[in-house]
Amino acid sequence: MQHAVVAIVPELMLVAAALVLLLIDPFLPPEGRRGLSWLGIMACLPAAASVWLARSEQFSTFSNGIALDRFTVFFKILLLAVAVLAMLLSEKHLALSGRLLGDYYALILLATVGMMVMASAIDLATFFVGLELMAICSYLLAGFFRGRERSIEASLKYFLTGSFASAILLFGMALLYGLSGSTNYQQISAAVSSGSLDGHVLVIAIVLLLGGFAFKVAAAPFHGWAPDVYQGAPTPAAAFLSVGPKIAAFAAIIKFFTIMLGSEQARWVPLMIAIAIATMLIGATMALLQRDLKRMLAFSSIAHVGYLLLAMIAAGQSHSSFGSSAILFYLAAYAAMNMGAFGVLVFLANSARFNDSLGEMAGLARRFPGAAGVMAVLMFSLAGIPPTAGFLAKFYLFASVVDAGYAWLAVIGVLFSVVSAFYYLRVIVYMYMREPSDEVATAMEPADGRSWDLSLGLGLATAAVIILGVLPAPILNAAQDAVAKIIGS
Amino acid sequence: MYSFQSQIGFPILSVMTFLPTLGGVVMLLFMRGRPRLYKSAALAATAATFVLSLMMLWKFDQYTADFQFIEKVNWIQRIGASYHMGVDGISVLLILLTTLLSLIIIPASWNYIKDRELGFFASFLFLETGMIGTFCARDLLLFYVFWEIMLIPMYFIIGVWGGPRRVYAALKFFLFTMAGSVLMLVAIVGIAYLARPDQYAAPVFDLDQLQHAVFSFPVQMAAFLAFFIAFAIKVPMWPLHTWLPDAHVEAPTAGSVILAGVLLKMGGYGIIRFCIPLFPDAVVTAIPYILILSIIAIIYGALVSLVQKDLKKLVAYSSVSHMGFVTGGIFAFTVIGLEGALLVMFSHGLLTGALFLMVGFMYERLHTREISAMGGLATPFPVMAAFLLFFTLGSLGLPGLSGFVGEFLSLLGLFTYNKAMAVVAAAGVILAAAYLLWMYLRVMFAEVRDQKWFRLSDLSLREIASLAPLAGLAVWVGAYPDTFINIIHPSASHLIDHMSPYLAQHGDFLTRFFASLGGGH
Repeated sequence: MQHAVVAIVPELMLVAAALVLLLIDPFLPPEGRRGLSWLGIMACLPAAASVWLARSEQFSTFSNGIALDRFTVFFKILLLAVAVLAMLLSEKHLALSGRLLGDYYALILLATVGMMVMASAIDLATFFVGLELMAICSYLLAGFFRGRERSIEASLKYFLTGSFASAILLFGMALLYGLSGSTNYQQISAAVSSGSLDGHVLVIAIVLLLGGFAFKVAAAPFHGWAPDVYQGAPTPAAAFLSVGPKIAAFAAIIKFFTIMLGSEQARWVPLMIAIAIATMLIGATMALLQRDLKRMLAFSSIAHVGYLLLAMIAAGQSHSSFGSSAILFYLAAYAAMNMGAFGVLVFLANSARFNDSLGEMAGLARRFPGAAGVMAVLMFSLAGIPPTAGFLAKFYLFASVVDAGYAWLAVIGVLFSVVSAFYYLRVIVYMYMREPSDEVATAMEPADGRSWDLSLGLGLATAAVIILGVLPAPILNAAQDAVAKIIGS
Repeated sequence: MYSFQSQIGFPILSVMTFLPTLGGVVMLLFMRGRPRLYKSAALAATAATFVLSLMMLWKFDQYTADFQFIEKVNWIQRIGASYHMGVDGISVLLILLTTLLSLIIIPASWNYIKDRELGFFASFLFLETGMIGTFCARDLLLFYVFWEIMLIPMYFIIGVWGGPRRVYAALKFFLFTMAGSVLMLVAIVGIAYLARPDQYAAPVFDLDQLQHAVFSFPVQMAAFLAFFIAFAIKVPMWPLHTWLPDAHVEAPTAGSVILAGVLLKMGGYGIIRFCIPLFPDAVVTAIPYILILSIIAIIYGALVSLVQKDLKKLVAYSSVSHMGFVTGGIFAFTVIGLEGALLVMFSHGLLTGALFLMVGFMYERLHTREISAMGGLATPFPVMAAFLLFFTLGSLGLPGLSGFVGEFLSLLGLFTYNKAMAVVAAAGVILAAAYLLWMYLRVMFAEVRDQKWFRLSDLSLREIASLAPLAGLAVWVGAYPDTFINIIHPSASHLIDHMSPYLAQHGDFLTRFFASLGGGH
């Protein structure tokens, strides 16, 4: 059943749901909007089902612009899961902030469509359309609390740096097109590996592409926007923005660098090594200094990008697809633990008018034992301690780096993970080993912040973290199968 | 793939490993706010685990070095990791120590913890799972998972229920151990991938297969160092011991007992189980250096104990000294030395565990651990004085108690290796007598410092009940060590047999080395 539409059924479902959301929103009274998140979620579930049903398809369509293969299937399901989780985390927070609008869910769905297109594109033009759809929705999500200065600032910063990054990426892509005469990944790959292209221009293209992607995934030295954006954006939106765009960007990075530029790895691997080390260094050391939890999580996510780039080096170097599959598994684990951690902050903001400072975490285990327990599990996972997803993801990732012959890079990576353990453990210190100061105790009056959606979201994220840590085999196999036969390679 | 060969009819190792966790989860979910119920549940879970470990000992075949009660299930098939459990005599002995101490600390902490008791008891149950799992794992990745899992409950035990500087001590403990073990993780991955038959095969984490792998000398040396540093931090060997005094002083009594009794043994166990069989060439090269470090640890630990003002710190530093006999005994590479090292481990778990318990009981009454603030305690607390004398004498190596046997065998092993070293190490025993007897003198004798003490009660029946089994075992090991040596003998001699060709190869080098030290065979 190689009909073109099969490849984009999930995207169509989400677009339709987004349109419905936008259309019915103005006609609903404020109370009637409570269920809108479920409209979005109910669009994601059949979309995921349709992806799953087409999992054994392997073809490209739309004039060789979109591929449907195991790789796409893995990313689409992961991105849909992220979207569902983001919507579960958002509902109550938006209601309490007086911004419960269908637009928000529509933006999440459309951003997800953009990300899915990025993951499935095998043509530069298609890829760029997906990228921009994702990016524009992200800017709007960051500024969704338009009454708050911080939120608007975040949106503006995100927009400026993001469009700059898009321009740089576009420039790199234009050079590739100019060199090879095609926008199709496969044909570019053939042209690059023929060795007849101008090496100097190719280097410039590689540098521009790396720079653009570094902006998009918040890798050093272009990471500066991330802390401000995550801090200013509505917390549930920050959860989505810290995970979704990175997943999509890494899907694209894998395809760009292992397929299109795979034969040029001698040119980009050294650059990637420098970026990875700098990213881990800046992420880990700056996170040590943060007193604001959202900024701390922002720098920690920068450090995680550093680890992912290490696996990218393995993916470039290795004869096998080991490095790429490590990235896929790591992204799945990272999505669960990072969104969960932001979700706990959403819960605390809802329940206790919490404003994300580390000091307010003091004595949290007494006031909210459940939330503190979930946060502790997620922190251990982010730090990479078994039996959590974070450990196995790191283990598998560093294994790919060692296997590719970069044991020294793996040693640097694990040492940074010891440094990072310090700031994750500090959150636990505050929650379990400090007593709340009187000021904090009185300032934190429990608001009516209970929400089944949020509890469900946190429960799912925590369960995913533990299941991926104890019985990772199904996801690990899926990740390995996904990268075994990427269309275009 | 699932297989289990057990002489007992059910997968006893898994049941033993996960029973405490099950108990902990049930407690956390259903027993919140009912202290008597969850304390009894914790006692029941640890008691059941102890009974299981006795059943294991009962059915354990003492005449073979093969691994027994084996369980094997695929875990992450594509990367070659399996859930593979099995025990030999060395594991059995240490598992017994673990289940016994885990059982004893529950009644010992019955009234000691006032705040968030549920979490306290649940933490110890989770910790027990990690400890037993570590001693059973026959797969490197599985071993690493259990090894690291132990950090989490111990971190909470020190950090939440510890003394004034508990947060610092807990972080230091966690980060020290983690720094060591992440390097071991890289080494684990490295050897697992190097041991593959070809580059498309899955990596090899299974110890049964890894034992037949041959690594080049540079690989062995790098991997040995990574493993050894991780284990040396746990032992702890001088100069990597600095986390230990902090952790011990700040930890609650039960935490110190488990830390000294079991967690320190993980280091020696890891060296015996992993370093020696996997990297024989590197081990043989490292012998002289490690022996010198061990002897420094013996003397240094003893000298530092001599000047401690805090009773708990004194016991903590004495552990550094005792652990020197463990590494010294192991790296003497004789069957006797190795058995001595294992007996020191077992006996140290009993005696130092008991000493930490006693320090805790004294602190509950006097609210101080300063030696100078005590004095004359024997008059108001005669039973306590008797028990402390018993464990002090055991710890300083009085013949007839367990401390003597292990240290004597360990020294005997060292002596056959190098006389000069054995002589210096033996000075550690003399120093142990000095610091322990001087401590006893200052704490128990002299005039009574505070008349208020007469109104305090002596050891209660509950406290005596938690000390008595340790005292009984200390006498058993001291009077008839064969019971315990028989358990470990096949495994110990198997390991030495395995090593003897490598030792012979490097014999020349060692002879020259020791000749230059003024010793010799």
